[in-house]
Amino acid sequence: MWRAPTDEAALAARWGSAEPFPHLIIDDFVAADQLDALLAILEDEGVERYEGDIFRFEASAPEPTTDALTELRDGFAAVLAPTFARITGKPVTRVDMRAFAYRPGHYLLPHSDHREGLTRALAYAYYLPSPDPPRGGELELFACRVEHGEIVATDSARMIEPRANRLVLFDVSDISLHQVREVLGGLRISLAGWFYASEPQGEQVPLGYP
Amino acid sequence: MTTLGELFGAALIVPGAIDPARAAAVRERWMPQLSRYTRLDRASYESVDNPDEPALVALMLRAAERATGRKLACETTRLLHLAPGDYVLAHHDPLYEGNPVEVTIDLSPAAVEDAEIHYRRSGQVFFRVPCVPSMLAIVERGVTITCNHCYVSKLHERASVVRFIILLRDSA
Repeated sequence: MWRAPTDEAALAARWGSAEPFPHLIIDDFVAADQLDALLAILEDEGVERYEGDIFRFEASAPEPTTDALTELRDGFAAVLAPTFARITGKPVTRVDMRAFAYRPGHYLLPHSDHREGLTRALAYAYYLPSPDPPRGGELELFACRVEHGEIVATDSARMIEPRANRLVLFDVSDISLHQVREVLGGLRISLAGWFYASEPQGEQVPLGYP
Repeated sequence: MTTLGELFGAALIVPGAIDPARAAAVRERWMPQLSRYTRLDRASYESVDNPDEPALVALMLRAAERATGRKLACETTRLLHLAPGDYVLAHHDPLYEGNPVEVTIDLSPAAVEDAEIHYRRSGQVFFRVPCVPSMLAIVERGVTITCNHCYVSKLHERASVVRFIILLRDSA
């Protein structure tokens, strides 16, 4: 199902130079003849509505409830963690994966994924083909101005369309501020989660990092 | 009127607390003076700090004193405006020492679905204030109480949520 990108040096260069913080966008991520099989895996995975002060969406449980999604997640980690570790310089191994459905009125407000005590190192979102492609639902990245260790200003810096069969990978840090803009129509479906650091970060030099 | 003790011991809603024409007059006075807060990891809104509205504050103060049985005095006032796409997250809300009373009156021109205020105790929502014009909410703010103003959907293109918020403390 999953295939690792082969142009690691080019991707590492893009990762390192991306603004406002390191990220990659990889289109046509899954072979076209695999997409139906991928969607079939998700058909049996139930989603529930989640709501908090920063989010409203539907998602599968934190842990897959079907063997098929478990295998899909484990395969994602096995194939991609070594490659992404080389590209980003972050020694990641484990990954989690949930299915998300954003309908009209659903959103995820600006936040960074960094949490003390968790070893989230890289965040990812893979956008699935939708029977009703979404209007809105872009991934928006923000540039943060920091003074004395605190964010003092936030500015929109990059808008990433949730295009089908696109993978977005981005850095997790205190300033990796991002949001999923409100979906205004259609259905935005994705697989998303984090790669977790296996060792203290900063021990590897990113491949081709400028 | 129901007393606070009969509910959560801390929160109460009073519908129809202000005449719509009076609410419109307050909006007209202060809306031109709004300034925008843009640290988007915390909130997105417009506000006026310390708007001088003695008659409105007196109305809110009387309601709070009746509900709590406490003698109160106004410490701060604020006018808050949320447009489509705006929100105030819980971690933008200050924690207050003591046991002040927060009173909010809804001055919005029309109700806005889902644009609620959520009061939280230890992170869990215990009291929801819908966006309904002229509705008054009285909440005793203990040190563990925070609140957030929910995201206003862009699907409600003409939504305009206007709230006048005062903080009251026991008077000497």
